Amino acid sequence: MLHHQSFFRIKSLSCVWQTSRGISLTASLCKNRKSGVPKITPFRTKQLTYEEAIPPSRINVRKGWLSFNTSNLHEEKRAAQTTFEDFLVRRFLTGTWHRSLASEVIIKRRHNIVVLSFLVSMERMLPRQVYFLQGYSETMLSGWLKMPVKIELQSVASQSDMVFKKI
Amino acid sequence: MASVSVRKTFVVLNSRARDIKFIQQRALHMSLSLKGQDIKSIENDKETSSDTDEFRVYQIEGLKRTSSVRRAERWSKRVPPPRYRSMSTEQDWTDVWPTASTFKWSAVPFPVRQGYVENSSENEGVIPSKYANLELMKGPNFLHLTPAHVQKHCKAIKHFCTKWPEGLETDEQCQKHFPVESVTSDYIYAGPSLTDDRARVASIKFKLSDLKLDYHARDKFVRLVGDRYNPETDDVFFESNRCPLKSQNLEYVKFLLTAVYFESWKNESWEQGKQLSDMETYVWNHNKSHKTCMSLLASIQAKDKTTEGELGKLNYLPENEVDTSVICGLPEVQQYKVAVETLFNVGENMETLNAYKMAVEKLLNFKSDV
Repeated sequence: MLHHQSFFRIKSLSCVWQTSRGISLTASLCKNRKSGVPKITPFRTKQLTYEEAIPPSRINVRKGWLSFNTSNLHEEKRAAQTTFEDFLVRRFLTGTWHRSLASEVIIKRRHNIVVLSFLVSMERMLPRQVYFLQGYSETMLSGWLKMPVKIELQSVASQSDMVFKKI
Repeated sequence: MASVSVRKTFVVLNSRARDIKFIQQRALHMSLSLKGQDIKSIENDKETSSDTDEFRVYQIEGLKRTSSVRRAERWSKRVPPPRYRSMSTEQDWTDVWPTASTFKWSAVPFPVRQGYVENSSENEGVIPSKYANLELMKGPNFLHLTPAHVQKHCKAIKHFCTKWPEGLETDEQCQKHFPVESVTSDYIYAGPSLTDDRARVASIKFKLSDLKLDYHARDKFVRLVGDRYNPETDDVFFESNRCPLKSQNLEYVKFLLTAVYFESWKNESWEQGKQLSDMETYVWNHNKSHKTCMSLLASIQAKDKTTEGELGKLNYLPENEVDTSVICGLPEVQQYKVAVETLFNVGENMETLNAYKMAVEKLLNFKSDV
């Protein structure tokens, strides 16, 4: 109701301004827009992995977390730094393993060691390239985070092996 | 470059066939990279070209592929089969999975699935298997902590273990021989720095009864330490975080113990002026109850002398006039004293009130006819 009222008020003003487009100043309901929930395509052609297919509301029910650390526990430190480092690591790996990163990156922190595990698609990669990129990523991230970084990756034959669902 | 020079030579050959030999030599000179076979083919071409007047086309051997040879697939492209297929059932699992590691589908020899499917549209209605399963990689696993692993670990660290000292089998014995318990903490967390400001805290804990203290010193000690003394467990707990280093804090709490101990043994002049309100506990002898009780008993004693008969008399009181200390020592009075002291020191409850009632009945020879 409120929405309509303000809409008409603006509409009447817009006549004065000689514009045909109305603007709404009330907050939109956004009931169909949710974070982490992909939209269905008309012919159900969008391929989703298990991680993408399960909505965030099902975390700890049907899927686990992607970051494992103790920073958010009571009286623990570095919550913000840890979150930012995870963001940085994910950005870096997405670019470094361009078009070959088949899954999300799992970041586990054991003591001061950062363990990264993810799946690499071997469609465009040679084993020696994988070994190089693994060492490269470990070295670069260890230098930036000032913590030993270990990459425990696994390979999949192609990206299509990751498909769980089509929507 | 070589082929170009040869073609030029042919033009010359066709126009002037006389100086073949000379031109051949020249061609040889110009194209040093040509092999002997090429020269031969030039000669053959010359003979066939004499039949037709067309330009001959020079065929360079190996330029056009006549048959295709399929090269073997690059060895590096081939992915070897997963490791679990070639594992024997007799293998040592500790060699396969030596340390903590992310779940690796190719090395785990048992079938395992994780995930949730709602209907047949998801993963063809089957729970995802271990291949390319991120869910299995997320959680921590205990594949590096099997009994065989633990046995190996124990065997490795047994070298560093020493025998447990004799005479310290029980907690009581440990408490007796090591009365002071100090607690410090080290912190490690997922960060680049090893320092943690919480690590500087140091504390010691000991039983107050382990210290050699008399009544005055103990009272003073308890007053000095305040809420650091727990009367229920008889523990004294000193903790410090005021110094920047752990060792400094530990030294400081040990100093505190020493200082408070020797301070509590000192008897200062101002301590003599201790008033009734300063008393730490209720002492009957110092209080008004003692005085009232004594005067009451004295007046009863005086009255009992003058009255005839035994009814209502206090038989435990002596016949003659005696000192108050003698009356104090009488068991009835002693019972009353204890009852009043516990009533004040412990607090009012059914037990202390009943004990007080009994003591008063005995003291004043009341008889309840209920």
